[in-house]
Formats: sequence, C-alpha cells, structure tokens
Amino acid sequence: MTRIAEVPASFDDRTFDQFAQAFGAWPPDERMLVDARAAQWASPYGLIGLLSAGQALREAHREKPLFTVPASDDVRRYWARTGFFRHAAELFEIHGKVPRVPTSEDSDQLLDITPVGASEDVHQVVGRIQERAARMLSHELGLEAKATMGFAMALSEACQNIVEHAGTSGWVAVHVYNWRKRLGRRVIVIAVSDAGLGFRRSLEATQAKRFGDRWGDAAALEAALIQGVSRFRDPGRGQGLAGIKRYLSRWDGKISIRSGTARLSIVPKWDDDLPLAEHLPFFPGAQVQVVIPAQEGGAR
Amino acid sequence: MIQTIPLGRVLQETVATPYRDLVTRPTGAAVRSWIQKAIAGSAAPTTLLDFTDVGLLDFSCADEIVAKLLLDTDPGADHYVMLLGAREDHAEAIDHVLNHHALAIAVVTGPGELPRLLGRVTPELERVFGCVFRLGPGDAGSIADMLGWTLERAADALLTLALLRLLRAEAGTFHPLPT
Repeated sequence: MTRIAEVPASFDDRTFDQFAQAFGAWPPDERMLVDARAAQWASPYGLIGLLSAGQALREAHREKPLFTVPASDDVRRYWARTGFFRHAAELFEIHGKVPRVPTSEDSDQLLDITPVGASEDVHQVVGRIQERAARMLSHELGLEAKATMGFAMALSEACQNIVEHAGTSGWVAVHVYNWRKRLGRRVIVIAVSDAGLGFRRSLEATQAKRFGDRWGDAAALEAALIQGVSRFRDPGRGQGLAGIKRYLSRWDGKISIRSGTARLSIVPKWDDDLPLAEHLPFFPGAQVQVVIPAQEGGAR
Repeated sequence: MIQTIPLGRVLQETVATPYRDLVTRPTGAAVRSWIQKAIAGSAAPTTLLDFTDVGLLDFSCADEIVAKLLLDTDPGADHYVMLLGAREDHAEAIDHVLNHHALAIAVVTGPGELPRLLGRVTPELERVFGCVFRLGPGDAGSIADMLGWTLERAADALLTLALLRLLRAEAGTFHPLPT
C-alpha cells in the first residue's frame, strides 16, 4: 500500500498543515508517495519541509518514499536552483525529469538549501551569506546597514537551534521574494527545519512538571519563544530566540515556529496570522520561519 | 600593565574556519577557554579583549565569551576585563547577554575618553563611573561632594561598580581601570 501526500499548488507556511495531514498517524505504516506534480510554487519553508518529511521517514526506518516532481518546467527549474533535488535524491526515490541547473544562480536566493548539523555548518552559512545579505537588505528591502549584522545573528541563532536541540541535522534556506498578496512588499525569509526531537520532547524533562496539565507542543513553544526557557540548566541559554525576537521587533518582522501539533507566531501588524494554532496535524521536528519585510517607503 | 587579546586571531587558532565570525556556543566556549589560559599565564591586572578583527558576534557566542568569562572570574581576584574595538553590533549582542546575567563591562573607546558601559548599568552608576574616570581615585565622600549626593548614595553606587568590576576598590578608595 502506498499513501499519497500531495504537495499543495502553492506550498508555504499557510498550506503546510494540509501537507502534514496527509501523513496520518506518525510515522505512517504505508510507503509514502509525495506528489508534487501540481505544485506551482513553494517557499523555502515548504521546500525544506519536504526534505524534513523525507528525513523523518528515513529516521523512522520506513521504506524510501517516492517523490514525483512538479509537472511545470519552470517550477522544476526553480526547485533545482534552490538545491532541493540534490538533497531530495538522498531521501526520496525521485520520479520525473530533474533539470540540471547550477544552484544559486537566481538573485532571489540568498542561501540555497543548506544542510545544518554541526557548529561548523553555522559558521559556513553565516560566513557565506553576509555580503549578499548586506546588499539585499539595503538595496531591495530598504533596511539600514546595521540591519545586516542583526540579520546574520538571527540566522545564526535559528540554525543553532537545530544543532543544540534537534538531535539530528536539518536544513536552512534564505530567499527574497515579493509577497504581493499578503503584504504588497518584498520580504526576506529565513526558513529552518529539522526532523528531530521537537520542542516538546526537548523541554519535557525540565518543563513538563511546571506546566502540569497544560504541557504539550503549544506549551513547549510558549516556554521557548515567549519565556526564553531552554532545556539546558545553564542560565545563559535561551537567549538565541530572545535575540531573534529583539531583532524582529526593530524591523517589524515575524517569527513562527511549528513543532509537533502546534505553531506559535509573533505576529506583526501587517500580518493576520493566528498567534497560536493548536491541534494541527502532527509533523516531526521543528520548522521555523523568520520574515523581514521591506521597510515602508524604502526599496521595493 | 595591560594584556591585549586579539579575538580575531584567537578565533583562527581555536576553530578551523576561514571566516572571522564569532558564532555558536562551541566556538565561544573554545575562545573563552583560550582567553582564560592566557589570563592565567599573565601577570597583567587588566585584560583587553580586542574585537577589531571580528566579523559577526552572535548572542550565543557573546554569552559564552564575555558573560561566562565574567561569571567565572574569582570575585577575590585583582583582575579586570575590558573590551576594545567593539562595533555597534558587537556591543548590542554583549549588552543583551550581560543584561540577562546582571553583569556589566566597560568598552575602551579611545585614549583619555570615557569608556562605554554595557550591561546592567543604571544612569546613576554611569554618572559615578564617569566621575571616577575623570577625577581619578576617590572615596564615597569625594564623590558625594562632587555630585551633591548623600554619602550613602555615593557609597552604594561605588560599591556596586566595584562588585561589577568596573572600578577597583582598595582600602575605601575607588580607582578607575587603566585604559
């Protein structure tokens, strides 16, 4: 038996739950077929979410899932340029023609899909991205020069979340694109995803008792993102997410973290997302999205 | 005598990276360990951590290097740490982590210039710190006279600055750190 998970035509944080729903009880007993034929567009969040699904199935010792590539040439080429197929080939049995194009040739890909599993990977990511990030933040988003370092800091801390808490590796991608419908402005998006422990399991030993009956995915996200709690007893821990929040409050950005069956967001005025969504279809690990919009009146 | 530690060079020696960024906790811990050994091997009472050649400093690394270095300092030791060459973004990360731990540190800005304080420092403490820096060693009485404060208020501020290791206390007299 094969179970089919269709990739939504427009695959991003808003349609992610639809994709997660298709897996049913985790891990699924049946072989999975991830069907991307109808996909027209995917955000970095969506693309690395697909890889996390493949990784989670592999780590659950399930049969290698099947993957059918998008029918659209343009979509396939775009996904290839992000580096998606290069990583997906290790996790999925791919069906369909995959174009051979070099990664990162698009100006809107600040960082193509990059695996993160160790501290050295974070050094690589941060080191590679800074010069282009400075140019993009300033020219395309109208942000002041000092926003660049804060951006790289936020990226570093988001990646370290995988290294410190996931118990496995994950992926990061950074793209710039136009949010015509949602915002009417260009945005820079950091997406980080892993198929690891998730926030609830990571914090359970130290926090579950404190929350009592409320303990669950949502409470764990609240503890980490709102209260700055970490699983480590070291009092200096938990400052990474606090630092990201501080940066985002200055530049009117948004962070949302999905883990297990909950998603918690710090929602700026320009967005209408729910601050907390509970009882979502389960998805392993943690998926983080950071969005920084072009400044109003700045570059578009 | 002042010991200056160029963090850019320490990074190259401790972590095999072509980049100049102080990021991640393991990197910060390795750099701090190097600094602690260097301090232990030096007779200098003041150590300047030089950020001049450092690219990015993230919060985790700032916590591991600066905050934990201060937290690990023996309260009885006559040794002080200051910063040099810290850019605005470095200062912001360091300020953030020091506030979290209720710590503080001085950043040397230029010869003869009042160092900038980062971390958990009130405007009142900054005023007293500036007073001692400009006027040289003094006691609670001289600071109280200078600022028109009560003796208790001045003594309390001086003691707090000494506990934060922003001034050196010696027999009731408070000395600015050498810059």
